[in-house]
Amino acid sequence: MNRRKLIPASAVIAAASMLLSAAPAQAAEPGVTATSIKLGITIPMTGIASPGYNKIPGAMKAYFDYVNANGGVNGRKINLVVKDDQYIPTLAVAKANELILKDKVFALVGTLGTASNKAIARSAQLSNRGIPALFVNTGFSGFADKKAYPTTFSLLPSYQMEAKVIGKYLDENFKGQKVGLIYQDDDFGLDALNGFKQAKIDFAVKIPYASGSQAVAGVAGTWITKLQAAKPDVVVLFGVSSATAAALGNAFAYKYSPKWILGSVGGDAVTLAANKVPPALLAGAKGFSFAPAPSDSSDEYIKMFMDVNSTYNKGVAFDNNIVAGMTSAFLTVQALKAAGPKLTRKGLIAAIEKSGASFANPSLTPFAYSATSHVGATGYWIGTYDATGALKPDGGKYTVYTTDSGTGAVVTSTYKRPAMPAKGLPN
Amino acid sequence: MHKLKSTNASRFLGFVVLGIFLVYLSNTVDELRVYQGATVAMYVIAISSIILLTGYSGQVSLGHGALLAVGGYGAALLRNNFNAPVWLCFVGAVLFAAFWGALLGVTAARLSGPYLAGTTLALAVGLPSIANQFKFLGGEQGLIFDIGLPPASLGEMFSQYKWFFWIASLTALISMWWLQNLLRSRYGRTWRAVRTQSVAAELAGIHVARSKVLAFTISAGLAGLAGALLSMTISTVSPGAFPLTLSFALATGAVLSGINTLGGVMIGAVTLVAIPDIADAIAHRIGASENVITNLPGLMVSGLLILTVLFVPNGPVEQHRARKARHHAVLTSTKK
Amino acid sequence: MFQIFNTFLIGITAGSIYALMAIAIVLVWRSTRVVNFAQAGMALLSTYIGYEVIQQFGSYWLALPLAMISGALVAAFIELVFMRLLLKHSSQGAIASIAPIIATLGLLGVIKAFIGFIWGNQDVNIESPLSNIGYSLGSQTLALSPMKLFILVAVSVLLISLTFIFQKTNLGLALRASAHAPEISRLAGIRVDFVRTFGWALAGAAGGAAGMLQTANGNGALAPDSLEFSLLLAFGFIAAVIGGLDSLLGAVVGALVLGLVLAFVLTYVGGSLVFITAFLLLLVVLIVRPAGIISQRAGRRA
Repeated sequence: MNRRKLIPASAVIAAASMLLSAAPAQAAEPGVTATSIKLGITIPMTGIASPGYNKIPGAMKAYFDYVNANGGVNGRKINLVVKDDQYIPTLAVAKANELILKDKVFALVGTLGTASNKAIARSAQLSNRGIPALFVNTGFSGFADKKAYPTTFSLLPSYQMEAKVIGKYLDENFKGQKVGLIYQDDDFGLDALNGFKQAKIDFAVKIPYASGSQAVAGVAGTWITKLQAAKPDVVVLFGVSSATAAALGNAFAYKYSPKWILGSVGGDAVTLAANKVPPALLAGAKGFSFAPAPSDSSDEYIKMFMDVNSTYNKGVAFDNNIVAGMTSAFLTVQALKAAGPKLTRKGLIAAIEKSGASFANPSLTPFAYSATSHVGATGYWIGTYDATGALKPDGGKYTVYTTDSGTGAVVTSTYKRPAMPAKGLPN
Repeated sequence: MHKLKSTNASRFLGFVVLGIFLVYLSNTVDELRVYQGATVAMYVIAISSIILLTGYSGQVSLGHGALLAVGGYGAALLRNNFNAPVWLCFVGAVLFAAFWGALLGVTAARLSGPYLAGTTLALAVGLPSIANQFKFLGGEQGLIFDIGLPPASLGEMFSQYKWFFWIASLTALISMWWLQNLLRSRYGRTWRAVRTQSVAAELAGIHVARSKVLAFTISAGLAGLAGALLSMTISTVSPGAFPLTLSFALATGAVLSGINTLGGVMIGAVTLVAIPDIADAIAHRIGASENVITNLPGLMVSGLLILTVLFVPNGPVEQHRARKARHHAVLTSTKK
Repeated sequence: MFQIFNTFLIGITAGSIYALMAIAIVLVWRSTRVVNFAQAGMALLSTYIGYEVIQQFGSYWLALPLAMISGALVAAFIELVFMRLLLKHSSQGAIASIAPIIATLGLLGVIKAFIGFIWGNQDVNIESPLSNIGYSLGSQTLALSPMKLFILVAVSVLLISLTFIFQKTNLGLALRASAHAPEISRLAGIRVDFVRTFGWALAGAAGGAAGMLQTANGNGALAPDSLEFSLLLAFGFIAAVIGGLDSLLGAVVGALVLGLVLAFVLTYVGGSLVFITAFLLLLVVLIVRPAGIISQRAGRRA
């Protein structure tokens, strides 16, 4: 074939193959049929941030299976499509596009990572297309802004809120002493820095790390040498699990033991143990959570989640990640139910704005969903890790501190969590 | 062998017809395919840059992903800081990447083979992480690159993805037209001469180093353009968008196309985009385990690469022509 | 002052692991004139085999030599089956310059996929057999632990053995001869093909050791797409080029220099500059001493 004609000719062949896959006419609302609802999640299943988080989809599926086994939501069974984005924002965008364009999901649920969620919202044009991103697995305060992200709903308290609560704790217990900080060098960490600024915490040493660099040999070691040089009395670790594990592990190897404060993102003991940090290293460190502790089997939600986990998610150890996944799933079912039998994307968003604040939920803080705000949980309780790695609330009971992502004060909450609906099935 | 003398005009007409066909396609096929089409157009430009550099000029680069990154960041910076119109951002991307390509080319002209490969490899690993160092480059999560909504004159139903496809396709058509002309000109002949017989070329008065640097510069400009298109399709530019695997994928695509055959560039581009889809479909069809589903695309691309290098090393098009030439030679030699 | 010493130790330890990789690359280069990107893939596969051995028998000390042996076998197999076929088919045309590079890249992808098929993509763990806690010097802790000390010792032993084989034995002489002048070597009675395969086998063993040591040195996590192995490949390659692809000693020196420079940049400048530093170092070396730090030839033509 004449070389000059090649480009057009081969292009025609390629284009013809595109033509052959032309789609049939669309159904009314993507992802919804009379008997099923298709939801999608993109989350690090492999790669640097995956330890721990890769258990979340399994936990969500387990809860959805439980609900499906009990009649589903308004007669529809829930189907979750899971994609691996390796905590890389550009991959997250590609997977989200796949979920939306190829798998044609009704909504995205529980997508993880500040940077990934930002990229998805922008590139997949969630707001233009009205695609809900429910209960995203990130505490970035920006997602609560309805104007910027009209179809996104937060779940976790924001990192600013967490930093302010940590700040209150530091102020009450370590006044005048030197504080160190290790944080991830992107919006996740910067959000926390804002919160610390609100709380007027001055750090003796601040160590940012680029996401992923914790895996490079020797990098975490240099964090410790820097800390040892600055000699803070207490160190806040505000990174993902693999970074927290690297810091703790290297500190142990260098025989450096300040008082540790673990941010909630990287603070799950089971995940850390999987990253070669034995529970003994955590003993005495402070931790934060907004849900009941996974070790607290006296809590009715924890007990229910444990049962669901052992029935529908056999063989998987029960930890914070399971609780997180099932909480998102639980809330999703609430929202779908509230949206009614005539299920549309617009209707779902409206339902959460209208009644989200009164959804039954495992969280120990109230939710703040409204027509003007997409904020979920609003605070944390403070605990201490014991020798087995379980986080136990200080004082033996959950004292929850709530605040906002702005200049509001940190106050002790008087919220009483409403009882769980029967059998853990939203009504 | 009779030569079909096609004039420049008829080639140009060919491109125009193709353009019209693509417009028709974009209105007919599924949105996912349209989006993938934009990615294919991007790969066409990126792979052609490798064909120019390696196939024609004989220099190997394992780090072209870095040059794509340079183009992408250039475009984003122009857009965000100066509110430049989209076409100007693309031009900026080309010039910016070409500039760095020239610098790299000057260094590369003194290296060859594995040393060049090693340098470009180190660049591919190192460059994207520069973004973490300078705040104005946005760090790990990068910058926004938003080309805006399609103009209202195209109607309300005109989706963003179709807009991407139109822009990417038009850019690819123009670039391929330009590159094809370039490769058919004396520059192309000079590069081929330098690659195959550099000593003879030098004796014939060709300035070898200058020609190599020129090739690198132009190749880099094209790569930068592809990088800007890539950033457009994901509305972001960040280090994670240009991993080492991208550089390897481009080299793969070039080999699949035929390392010195511009005409085959569609083969490589379509393969790179199609394989993950095909692998996914196969894996799901045979009900394979999680492990297989994740790894099958990689296996297929790598396997295809190895098979191509082993059995069709100079690309399917070249292979076909060589076979025809041999066949013709046999025929004519038996004639009297 | 102490921090400087500790940084030095970190650099030497990391550098010695890169040295193993660099040696593997140089060995293959010297015996077949091919740059083998699949080296890291073979190292990865050997490390996974080591992981299996630990799973079955519980002993790292058994796994390490077995990983090296399996590395040698895998490498020899690939040379016998794959590389010979490749070199036969692709020695002409535009592809010739990059065919081996591209083909070994493809091989890397195939090996990774293969590993993913069998073991999955999630992290698996290799426990380090020795303590990772640093030795104490008075009130300070050194960045040297029993495990790190073992790494330094092991690499030195391997290095010395390899150099001995290369420089002092007939086999080593044959290896060097067949790389430079295969036809003449054949005439001299050297079984060039066998010797080539042997060179690859040595490289495979070195790669296997590098993988096992690196995994134990780090956080023990092992996965097909792990960043550590990609870096091992990139840094090993850069170290080999810095050292001048022609000498084993150069590979070691280059790797140590790379390790030290990276460690100091990491500690005193910042974590995110690591990669660009490697690139700049390479560039500087290539410009200032184009033949590498330890070079025997003036030119840089491959």
